[in-house]
Amino acid sequence: MIAYAIRRVVLMVPLLFAVATLTFFLMHSVEGGPFDSDRPISDATRARLNERYNLDGSLLTQYTNFIANTAQLDLGISTSSNERAITDIISEKFSVSIQLGICAFIFAVLLGVTLGVVSAMNQNGIGDYVGVFIATGGAALPSFILAPFLIILFALKLDWFDVLGWELWNYKKMVLPSVALGMLPGAFIARIARASMLDVLRQDYIRTARAKGVKEFSVITRHAVKNAMIPVLTVLGPIFAGLITGSFIIENAFAIPGLGNAFVSSVLIRDYGLIMGVTLFYAGIIAAMNLVVDLAYAMADPRIRL
Amino acid sequence: MATETTLQPFDFARDPFATKQRGLWEMAFQRLIRNRLAFVSAIILIFITVLAISAQLVPFIERHDATVQQYSIVNEGPSSEYWLGTDILGRDMWARLLYGTLFSLKIGLGTQLIVLLVGITIGMGAALGGKLSDTILMWFTDLAYAFPDLLAIILLRQVLFGRDWPIIGTGDPQIPGFPSAILGTILAISLVSWVTIARLVRGQMLSIKEQDYVLAARSIGASPWRVVRAHMLPNTLSTVIVSVTFGIPLAIFAEGALGFIGLGVPSPYTSLGALMGDGYAYLFVNNWLVVWPAIMVAILMLCFTFLGDGLRDALDPRTRK
Repeated sequence: MIAYAIRRVVLMVPLLFAVATLTFFLMHSVEGGPFDSDRPISDATRARLNERYNLDGSLLTQYTNFIANTAQLDLGISTSSNERAITDIISEKFSVSIQLGICAFIFAVLLGVTLGVVSAMNQNGIGDYVGVFIATGGAALPSFILAPFLIILFALKLDWFDVLGWELWNYKKMVLPSVALGMLPGAFIARIARASMLDVLRQDYIRTARAKGVKEFSVITRHAVKNAMIPVLTVLGPIFAGLITGSFIIENAFAIPGLGNAFVSSVLIRDYGLIMGVTLFYAGIIAAMNLVVDLAYAMADPRIRL
Repeated sequence: MATETTLQPFDFARDPFATKQRGLWEMAFQRLIRNRLAFVSAIILIFITVLAISAQLVPFIERHDATVQQYSIVNEGPSSEYWLGTDILGRDMWARLLYGTLFSLKIGLGTQLIVLLVGITIGMGAALGGKLSDTILMWFTDLAYAFPDLLAIILLRQVLFGRDWPIIGTGDPQIPGFPSAILGTILAISLVSWVTIARLVRGQMLSIKEQDYVLAARSIGASPWRVVRAHMLPNTLSTVIVSVTFGIPLAIFAEGALGFIGLGVPSPYTSLGALMGDGYAYLFVNNWLVVWPAIMVAILMLCFTFLGDGLRDALDPRTRK
């Protein structure tokens, strides 16, 4: 398994290299550049600027420079934020994104597991219909549909929460974005949890537990839920990766200064360094998460041999 | 000579099975109709599509021109004259919503058309083209998979919107009804989402290749092309159809997300995403502007998802409860 992990890590290098190459040439194939503005700048200034930000020379020179620097984990400086180092910006913005991601993840897991368990226990009853309805509705309603409704209702009409921003431990700013982002994965988890719970409740060991006089609450929590969560655990990895890399829309909707928001604006203002940095960073995270998930499968299920 | 009216033995066998013979597709269709949720969804989708198309043709349904600005009636709520109210420039929201819906439907369907072509070609090429092509094509698939979807769509959208569009000749709507704004969005989304279908087709083809009926067909001398066309493709079809049905709402979602973060189609075109983005920018001024497109996107996504669920159950009887 260690050999497998090492092989996968080594294979990540050509993948990231390809991602970097593709993104580089894609971005530079668009006309215009980071120093285009309404106010014309003189050729001399433009040349100096290009030199400062390693944007001079032919495309091929720029490319080789870029790859050589990236290989040493030096992503250069940003053309848009006062020459700050790209790695600096990414780590600052990502710390916000990951807070949002974790909050949404916690919400999704709580919502999904609760809904799943409740609907499975009242199969075909009222609780089941409500649970399935929320799960189906939530699964088809993307975050950007949910966000405006949440804002209109809970921030503008009821004034319970703030409309914009993000601040750790300030529930007024944390609840709405987390709910909007976590609803979809929550609904997905609920579906899986319900199916798995229904399956487990029919198993013989549940009947045994009841037969030997275990209290119903204990049967559910200690015997049923514990076993029903295994299929849920297997989807948590991809969901978490999706939440921390997929918060563009919610960060934009709630004006949260996270990495997704930074990426969108860097695309608009052609901050090449930041675009490349964020793309590589995200691609790296996704590759790493996939590896972690595969390894976790292998550890959880001895039948899988890597 | 008397007419033969006497009953013969085994006469009943002349009309042995009065029950109608039904093929695979007819049976699937029957099952789909019996699935109430999927059936109602299909009806709603057809209704919305017809409404959106006819609004472009019949002024009676469009009611007001979607592009006419009336500064005396900006930001009005729903009324009997302007059913869904007016936007910040006094344009009728009903007309704009239908226009945007048609745009988004075109994007959803157009994306899946390209995804279908690219996905099936690459999936088939990987499964049937030998070891080398499998390795190369799957490496491409992994590469496309390594990009976070939305990030890649945003990048591609910028790249595709930044250039002129002489793909086939010049002039803007090169394909009637599909101006460059639609084509750019469709290409950006489909270049990201072909991966799923390529993997599905490859997996299906690899397992079908080993089936006995393929062996039988080959042993009686069917040409490889005939085996693929007559035996293998039809058997991947149900997977592909289901994947496409789920792909349409995903494309509409992607377009909506682009519009929402301000990267939608440029004026004068509008899509559901662009409408949402505009409405969200004026959330404090006029709540209605974001509500209508949001409801429409929600209806489209729910209906396509239910239809997809229904199709999956109908086409694969084994998964039925």
